[in-house]
Amino acid sequence: MDLTTLAEVAGNLSVIGYGLAAIGPGIGLGIMFGKAMESTARQPELSNKLNTIMYIGLAIIEVLALLGFVAFIMKS
Amino acid sequence: MTTLADGNGIDLFIPKTYDIFWSFIILVILAVFFYKFFLPRFQKIFDERAEKIQGGMDKAAAAEKEAEEAKKKYEDQLTQARVQASKIRDDARAEASHIIADARSRAESEAAQISANAQRSIESEQQQALVSLKGQVGTISVALAGKILGKELKSDAVQSDMIDSVLGDLEDESKED
Amino acid sequence: MTGSVGLSVLTAAGGLTLADGPSELPSIDDFLPPEILFQGTPFAMNRIILIRAIMTVVLLLVFGITAKRAKLIPGRWQGFVEWMIEFVEYNVVYSTMGELRGKRYVPMCCTIFFTALCFNLCGVIPGFNIAATATIAMPLMFALWTLVQYWRSGIRSNGGLGKYLKKELFPAGVPWPVYILLSPIKFLEIAVIQPGALTLRLFANMVSGHLTLATALVMTDWYIIQVHNAAMMPVGILWFLFGFLMTAFEIFIAALQAFIFSVLTAVYINSSYPEDE
Repeated sequence: MDLTTLAEVAGNLSVIGYGLAAIGPGIGLGIMFGKAMESTARQPELSNKLNTIMYIGLAIIEVLALLGFVAFIMKS
Repeated sequence: MTTLADGNGIDLFIPKTYDIFWSFIILVILAVFFYKFFLPRFQKIFDERAEKIQGGMDKAAAAEKEAEEAKKKYEDQLTQARVQASKIRDDARAEASHIIADARSRAESEAAQISANAQRSIESEQQQALVSLKGQVGTISVALAGKILGKELKSDAVQSDMIDSVLGDLEDESKED
Repeated sequence: MTGSVGLSVLTAAGGLTLADGPSELPSIDDFLPPEILFQGTPFAMNRIILIRAIMTVVLLLVFGITAKRAKLIPGRWQGFVEWMIEFVEYNVVYSTMGELRGKRYVPMCCTIFFTALCFNLCGVIPGFNIAATATIAMPLMFALWTLVQYWRSGIRSNGGLGKYLKKELFPAGVPWPVYILLSPIKFLEIAVIQPGALTLRLFANMVSGHLTLATALVMTDWYIIQVHNAAMMPVGILWFLFGFLMTAFEIFIAALQAFIFSVLTAVYINSSYPEDE
C-alpha cells in the first residue's frame, strides 16, 4: 500500500454490481411472498395451488439474483 | 490478488470431467439405494402399520358388534321370557276361570238334576200315595157306605158308579181347594 | 491488501486495521481444490469429491441400517426418518401434483431431498467444512435428472414429443404474432433456464454460505489469536457470534435448499403434464 494514499477504496466493482443486482429480486421476492401470504390468508383452501405458483415465481425471480451472483464470482 | 487471477471465477461454473463422473456415480448409487431399498422398505413398514391399525380397528368393531348382538339376543330372550310368562299367567287365569265356570255349571246342573229327581220322586210318591189313597179311600168309603146304606148296594155296577161319582166329587172339591 | 479482493466487502469491518490481514481468508479457490487422488485421470478426486464420497458412504450406512432395522413400532430416530419421508411425500410431492400423479415421483424427490440435505449439511460439519454440493457438477446432476424427468413425463403424458412442445411453446389463447417472441423464450426456459436456475440456486447458496461462514471463522481466529491486542478482543467476539449465527443459518439454508430443490422438481414435472383442469 502506498503510504501517501490517505484513503483507499479497496475492492471490486463486481461486488457493487452484485449488490445492485440483488435489489430487484429482493423487492420482487418480498412482494411475491407478501402477496402469496395475503392470498393464502384470504383463501386458505387454495394454498396448495398458490404455493405451487409461488414456487414457480420464486424460481423465475431468483434467477436474476443468481445471475448477479454468477457475474460477481466470475469477475472476481 | 495472486490467488484470484482475473476471470478465474468462471472455472467454478465449468464442471470438470472427473467431477461430473463422480457426481454421476454417486447420484446413481444413491438413487438405486433410495428406489430399490430405502423407500420400498419404509413403504412396506407404513403399509404394515396401516394394516395393523386397520385390523385392530376392525377387530374392535367386530367385538363391539358381537357384544351388541349378544346384548340384543339377551334382551330378546328376556322379552320373550316375559311374554311367555305373561302368556302362561293369562292361560292359567283363563283356565282357572274356565274350571270355575265348568265346576259351577256342573254343580248347577247336578243341583238341578238332584232337585228334578227329588221333584220326580216326590211326584211319584205323591202319585203312589194318591193311587193307594184312592184305592184305600174307595174301599174304605165303599165299606163305609155299605155299612151306612146296608144291603142297598148289591150290584157291582151301581157300586162302582157310585164310587166314581163320589171320588169325582172329591177330586173336584180337592181341585177347588 | 493481500486478502481476497472479491471478498473485501465481507471484511470491511476490520478493513482499516488490516495492514496485512489474515492470509487464510476463503476464496473461490476453496471450490477448486487440487486433485489429490488419481491425478490427471477422469476419475480424479479432489477434496470436495472425497467429502462427497465419504458422505455417500455415511448416508448409505445410516439410512441403510435404519431401513434394515425398521420396526413396526418406530424408535425415536426411525420416527424422525419416517417424519422426513412423509414430509417429502405429502408436503413436497402430493401437495404440488396430487397423489395420483405424484406417486411415481416420490422416490426421486426423496433421493434429491435426502441427498441434497446431507450434502449441504457437510458445510457445517467440522472437518469437512465445505458442502458436498459446492461444486457445480453435483447440483448439475440433480438438475439434469429433473430435466430428463420432466421431458419424459411431458412426452409421455402429452402423447409424443410434438404435442409436448406444442403445449409448452405455443400455449393456447395467445394471438399468433406473440408466438414469435414467446416460443423461443419458452423453449429456452424448459431446456436451459429451469435446470440452470436449479443448479445455480443450490450451488450459489452453498458457495456464499461457505464464504460467509469461513470468513467469520477466519476473522475470529485472526482477532482473538493472531492479533495480540486486547483491545481487539470484542471485535473477535463479535465475529465469533456472527460465525455462530451463520452456522445456525447455514443449517437452516441446507434444509431450505434441499426442500426448494425437491419442490421445484415436483413443480416442473407437474407443469409438464397437460392441463386437464
